[in-house]
Amino acid sequence: MSTEAGRFVIDGQRLPYEPGDTVAMALIRSAQHPRRGGTLCLAGDCGNCVAEVEGIAYVRTCQTPARDDLVVDRHPGEGPPPWHEPAATRPAVEVRRDEVDLAVIGSGRSGTAAAAEARRAGRQVTVLDAGSGEEVVAVYAGPTLIVRISDGMLHLRAKEVVVASGAAELHPVCPGSELEGLLTARAAQRLYAAGVDLGAAVAIGPPPEGVPCTALSGELVRFDGDGRVNAVVTREAGEERTTSCETVILNLGRSPRDVLSRMAGDLPVSVVGSAAEAFPLPPPPTAGIVCPCAGIGVDDLEAVWQRGFNELELVKRASLVGTGTCQGSVCLPHVRAWIAARSGRVPEPFTARPASRQITLGEAAADVELDAFRRTALHDEHLAAGARMDRFGGWWRPWTYGDHLAEYRAVREAVSLGDVSTLGKFVVAGTDAVEFLQRLYPTDVSTIRTGRSRYALLLNERGHVIDDGMICREADARFVLTFTTGGAGNAEMWMRDWIETWGLEVLLLDRTMSLAAINVTGPRAGELLGRLGLADPPRFLQHVRAEIAGVDCHVMRLSFTGEASFELHHPVDRSAELWRSLLAAGEDLGIRPHGLQALFALRLEKGHVIIGMDTELDTTPRRLGMDWAVNMEKPDFLGREALLRTASLPDHRRLVGLTMAGVAPTEGSPIRATGDVVGHVTSGFSSPSLGQAVMLGWLKRTPFPDQVEIDGRPATVTAPPFYDPEGLRARA
Amino acid sequence: MRAPDPIAALRVVAAPALLDSLAWPDRAMALRLAADDLLVIGGNPASVGNAIAIVEEERGFVGWWLTPDEVRDRVLPHVEWPLPASRPALAQGLIAGVPAKLWLGDERALLLCAAAYAHELAERLP
Repeated sequence: MSTEAGRFVIDGQRLPYEPGDTVAMALIRSAQHPRRGGTLCLAGDCGNCVAEVEGIAYVRTCQTPARDDLVVDRHPGEGPPPWHEPAATRPAVEVRRDEVDLAVIGSGRSGTAAAAEARRAGRQVTVLDAGSGEEVVAVYAGPTLIVRISDGMLHLRAKEVVVASGAAELHPVCPGSELEGLLTARAAQRLYAAGVDLGAAVAIGPPPEGVPCTALSGELVRFDGDGRVNAVVTREAGEERTTSCETVILNLGRSPRDVLSRMAGDLPVSVVGSAAEAFPLPPPPTAGIVCPCAGIGVDDLEAVWQRGFNELELVKRASLVGTGTCQGSVCLPHVRAWIAARSGRVPEPFTARPASRQITLGEAAADVELDAFRRTALHDEHLAAGARMDRFGGWWRPWTYGDHLAEYRAVREAVSLGDVSTLGKFVVAGTDAVEFLQRLYPTDVSTIRTGRSRYALLLNERGHVIDDGMICREADARFVLTFTTGGAGNAEMWMRDWIETWGLEVLLLDRTMSLAAINVTGPRAGELLGRLGLADPPRFLQHVRAEIAGVDCHVMRLSFTGEASFELHHPVDRSAELWRSLLAAGEDLGIRPHGLQALFALRLEKGHVIIGMDTELDTTPRRLGMDWAVNMEKPDFLGREALLRTASLPDHRRLVGLTMAGVAPTEGSPIRATGDVVGHVTSGFSSPSLGQAVMLGWLKRTPFPDQVEIDGRPATVTAPPFYDPEGLRARA
Repeated sequence: MRAPDPIAALRVVAAPALLDSLAWPDRAMALRLAADDLLVIGGNPASVGNAIAIVEEERGFVGWWLTPDEVRDRVLPHVEWPLPASRPALAQGLIAGVPAKLWLGDERALLLCAAAYAHELAERLP
């Protein structure tokens, strides 16, 4: 608090303040209101004094000491406060971390007593009080308290938290409660003590001690006035009485100051003192604004109630009551009373959020680390080749090297390299390895011979596709599995969970970040690898261990691009060396690397789905047209029961291939039939090889149409693959 | 943070009892990443014989050898979980938001992370 008088700036005008004034007090002293109306508590509970302070919106001016040249701007009467472009260089908010046995929030009588008792028991105690500059803005798991302090933020981890935050005063809910000149009793006392002239004041409820005012009896009906209150209407014995006044002091009762305890959920947080007291609820409001922060009135509550939102949490979500600045400090008692009057039972309070203390983005993000994105061992090679990198599945991956069609042609006509190091790669071994994989996958793993591999879907218990990849058998009881880039992390958890659940003797090793992988693909891929030492390349769906350009590789023959492809899995520390050798040896073959943009197009021509891009959360093999990947003759596997049950049910969804003339429509484009939307496009590509646009898309209405309209143009449902349907090129 | 050193290691995944029985040279450092997962740096353990195990050369990690002062000044401000009190000890978790492992000896420490994350950790630690 300033010990001297001075002037601060409000809406561009300089305004005087007295020693000890907050901004709100100084404004009231000058017959102004910080927010253009509403009851003021001056205790930090309500949102009726918030304004923009030094460029930060929604700051409680009753908690902001006035000082010379402080710049304050009132929020506009309508709409949100203006957006300011953030400064290019804003100093980072410092975070201090600490641990303590007990954190006590509030240094009043009950808080001090709780702290003293804990100290006597030998516990380490920290007392936090907003009045002393430690404003707790959030209670999170831990429990961890997020505290705004003078020089930044404090993240205090406590074994236990005691909330001793006291009680707030009830605000009035009636017509006219948005006028200026309305004060709670404690606010009036504070202003009077500071020498603020309250004018002709009347009191509803017990008049505050020492404050000159006229006590009114009867029930509060409404406030009258034009911008500022000039009369209050009360009712007694059925008769209304109007009393002229300049200030109305409201002493309507109290409610627990429970915003922080309402954030705590099941955390070890206890509440003491007035904050724990079961104060009586106010009478149910009949008219007026209930939630001044969000501008929600009794009529709004009535409207959502009539629509069937008949629980507190539903009323909150449907009407937005309690979602504003004060997070229910003002409105919650009234809303609970209003619902109790209708339902016959008093609902439990709703959860509060840190928005109640106007935590800024800078404060919220202070010391928070962004997600870490992985780089493959070839990252620098991609950059050197001019790649545009992007984030996919937790990795940085090359989207294109500048000309995705040239990359596409290299694959279709010559040879190309793709960095597929990001694929999930796992070793599974153990006496129960086959049994485990038989239960895990819908394909018959027992029929995969050593040295062979098979494409497989991964299903959950509901028969929904959650991932896909290859199963490579290396020995009787040893397999290498691959998964999608984005699915690798979940695949490991999924497998470990089932190994434990089934109690099988299975060993599992995640090699995803230990091995790099390069896909050598194209009609001249075999020729290139022959130059680097692979004399006897594996045939389609075979895999071998071989040395290529001096690097030990696990070579898997498969195809996602539709051309002959060899995935070379090898140690990450040899990857750049292998990449360069391949590029050098293939220079005269027209080699060039391809990025994801080209890869997505190549696989689309083959009709290969990308899990997560073309699939939905409840996609079954049938919906993908991939029943061939499921062996229902197996006695058991994850998802079998669900597939059996749903096999005889009608299904109205199918992922289909589509072709049309011209440019491929945007992914997500609606598919229409006879004027109705019947699905949407998941992937599209204007194929230079096929001279038309090819797509995958969902049809979600039966009978499935053969002819549809996309982007205002006719399209034909066409069974994929669109390119090399016999698969001769992949097997070449 | 300076560039990390490559870590040449051996990864042995086997039944916990088998891993318990393995011996390795004095110069080697054996980190038990999980009950059934052992990372041996700087020397190969005795052969697992015919026992069922996954034994693979491990080149996927990089590391920084640190002094206790460097751990205190560079690493600990970015660790939000309690460190083990005993030495030597292995702790695993997010360091500066990056998955990492921290082996703590009496006179030195080894900060390990997957090579794929090394750039992130190097950028985030002072």
